[in-house]
Amino acid sequence: MSTSLGTPEPAVRHALIDIHSLSYRYPSRSELVLDDVSFSLAPREYVALVGANGSGKSTLARCVCGLLEPPPGSVNVGGLDPSKRADAFEIRKRLSLVFQSPLDQIVASVVEEDVAFGLENLGVPKSDMDTRVEAALRAVDLWSVRKRPTRFLSAGQQQRLALAGAMVMEPKAIIFDEATAMIDPAGRESILDHMDILAEGGTAILHITHDMGEAARADRVLVLSGGRLVYDGRPQALFEREDVSAWALAEPPSMATARALGMKAVAGESARDFGRRLAGLSVLRPSKEAAHGAPPTETAEGNSLAWSATTAGFSYLKGTDQETKALEGVDLALSGGRSLALVGGTGSGKSTLLQLLSALAEPSEGRVLVFGQDTQDPKTDVRKLRMRSPLAVQRPETAIFELYAADEVSFGPRNAGLEGKALVERVRSAMDTVGLPYAQFRDRQCRALSGGQKRRLALASILAMEPDGLVLDEPTSALDPLSRQALMDVIWSRVEAGRALVFSTHSMEEAARADLVAVMRGGRLVALGPPSSVFGPAWREDWGIGLPFAAELSRSARQEGLDLPDGIIDLAGLAAACGALASVGREAP
Amino acid sequence: MKNLEFFRRVSIGQYLDADSPVHRLTPATKYLWLFALILPASMARSSLAIILVAAACLAAAKLARVHLRYLLRGFGPVLPLVLLTAVLQFVFGWRDDGSLVLADLGPISVTMREVLSVLGMAARFLAIMMALGLFTATTTEGDSARGIEDLMQPLARLGIPAHGLALAVAVAFRFIPIVAGELEAVVKAQAARGADFGAGRGGIVRKVRAYLPLVVPVTVRALERAEALAEAMDARCYRSKGRTRFVVTVGGRGEALLRLSAIVFGAGVMVLSGMLSW
Repeated sequence: MSTSLGTPEPAVRHALIDIHSLSYRYPSRSELVLDDVSFSLAPREYVALVGANGSGKSTLARCVCGLLEPPPGSVNVGGLDPSKRADAFEIRKRLSLVFQSPLDQIVASVVEEDVAFGLENLGVPKSDMDTRVEAALRAVDLWSVRKRPTRFLSAGQQQRLALAGAMVMEPKAIIFDEATAMIDPAGRESILDHMDILAEGGTAILHITHDMGEAARADRVLVLSGGRLVYDGRPQALFEREDVSAWALAEPPSMATARALGMKAVAGESARDFGRRLAGLSVLRPSKEAAHGAPPTETAEGNSLAWSATTAGFSYLKGTDQETKALEGVDLALSGGRSLALVGGTGSGKSTLLQLLSALAEPSEGRVLVFGQDTQDPKTDVRKLRMRSPLAVQRPETAIFELYAADEVSFGPRNAGLEGKALVERVRSAMDTVGLPYAQFRDRQCRALSGGQKRRLALASILAMEPDGLVLDEPTSALDPLSRQALMDVIWSRVEAGRALVFSTHSMEEAARADLVAVMRGGRLVALGPPSSVFGPAWREDWGIGLPFAAELSRSARQEGLDLPDGIIDLAGLAAACGALASVGREAP
Repeated sequence: MKNLEFFRRVSIGQYLDADSPVHRLTPATKYLWLFALILPASMARSSLAIILVAAACLAAAKLARVHLRYLLRGFGPVLPLVLLTAVLQFVFGWRDDGSLVLADLGPISVTMREVLSVLGMAARFLAIMMALGLFTATTTEGDSARGIEDLMQPLARLGIPAHGLALAVAVAFRFIPIVAGELEAVVKAQAARGADFGAGRGGIVRKVRAYLPLVVPVTVRALERAEALAEAMDARCYRSKGRTRFVVTVGGRGEALLRLSAIVFGAGVMVLSGMLSW
């Protein structure tokens, strides 16, 4: 693959980071993770770095900071070389990192002590520390919880804490390594806002991300593919290319929407701005007679319910002084062959509810039926029931325990009593379904698979039990766009084949494809309905879940006076509605 | 137990957030007093030592506004041990035990000396648990790590890595919920696929057989998490030398006096009980 530069290289006279034909391989591995990468980052620049899982993004960030040792002379950070130990320390004073997993970067047990950790290392006097810690905590809005134990923060707060720990070092640049991948939409929005503020304040930003909408916010995008830098230029030019999917990238929603509506595509445009632009178009003359979308219709529930919960509640550590209510008064029902998306902030009770629906936990109050069986009934064979409605835990690849791929997949069916030829057939079909052909992958070591492959393997190990229902906890989190797409395609194909599905997600685009969307907040179910209603008339800002791009766009356009129907949730609906409006407008004299 | 939950949500230690003269003590002073109470309680031969330690604990608990019941929460788990020792004591008597026989059940007899010895041991445990309970109730995780560093500071000049040890303690605290969370994830992933966890069947052997295969994946994950944390610390310029402290744990003259009195108390009780024969 050849390097193609979207715009001429920016002037690099006073580069903050200068990388010159950097190649890197991990010790004891043969393949290159980074292959002849060159670019520079100027002070105050806001750059996004994208590419598939395993394309070398994180390795690049680690080489720059000297967490890995790059070949001498290939990386230059203001005259310092991270391959030298002494220089690496000086570099890390100037470049801070915010990592993906919030919990893995918190050192201290109290909020303010954690922010101070970096300053303690630098030997900053106590009096200076106090003012700098206070400023950083105020900037990320955590000052009021400064005395709190760190583990009691929400994931979004923990990530803001990690950001404060980076900001307090007053670095010239902050590298965000998929820092928004594991937090909920509200937390994500807040981190992105902070990036903008930092960039305006003159801190250079290098944002590693899988989210194309996020990447499009940057001034410049770098694309890594198979360790090579294949694109370096403006986001607009990148997403106008036809071949971005070859690099495991997808179009940001604003670009895809613009293309579908035949409008000019603007990379990085927010749904709100797009809505205003749409409302300003003269062809779409608002009209009183414009057809409203059909009112959301609730399909009648069939007789065979996959899951039902009646005033179900759940408390952790019940009966102790540390009892915490995770779930309260949840009522829902889903019939076989239908799909339900659970959305809501971290800690809203989604994972707990999923455990109740897969019979891994019993409700402390109320009742949960899984395929008609009461999970609390002592006569219920819980083990069998769990296998009919198995849960795939969050990031299931971390729970892979067998050495070889086929063994991992066969664990479930073997527990169900399958053996011999039937077992092999089951494993083969499951692995083939998820796109890890049995013939090719059965003897592969699980550890050597890529992130996306591991996730699919975990799904195969669930499918191999031929369950009646799938219970998936954030099935696509932290995957690159193509892996995400591939995984969701497999999941939806199972639903079409008649399986019931309940899954949690932070992606409203994914939720909009389900038959029903349930919104969780503080352990309660605050809304349940078809996506056109939940993301339409019923939607409330204070849920903190965001909207699918098309829904947010049409909401904004409606506020500007464009008479779009309420309840548009996807591109097809938006295009149809705009088409209808345009024809109405044309008919008017 | 049908619900698969582990310690992930349990608060570690028994710290009671409050403001009291005892809470405000520097961690090094608390450590010194902890040793000054525990050493005599466990080693001194005289029961006077146990009484003095218990009295000191009660006085400090009053000052710290910690309930006695809260302090004794730790006694429950060691109770079986005490009972086992009592049984052993009664079964295997002293050879030259001439004390009053209280009950005679054929081969097993209960003598006055045995009863006193069992009671004494229970009292020892109680006193130790009270001291430990008081320490954990008034000391945060961070302070218990910093206290180690402060106490070992004199040794640091001899090349003993005081800061490293303190950090190890702090990280160990951090890892209890992390490892529990990893264990929970693997157990749930297996239970979802028909493993026996919490399905209400099987005895201890079955349980061991179910949990044993988890040791390797959970250890691997814990190491991965440790590596991630180490990397995050490196990224924030971690080094063990030339550091400053955000939390000040240097006490004034009052603290110095209290530290001195801890040593005097501990030594005094030991000496005193050595002079007594009861």
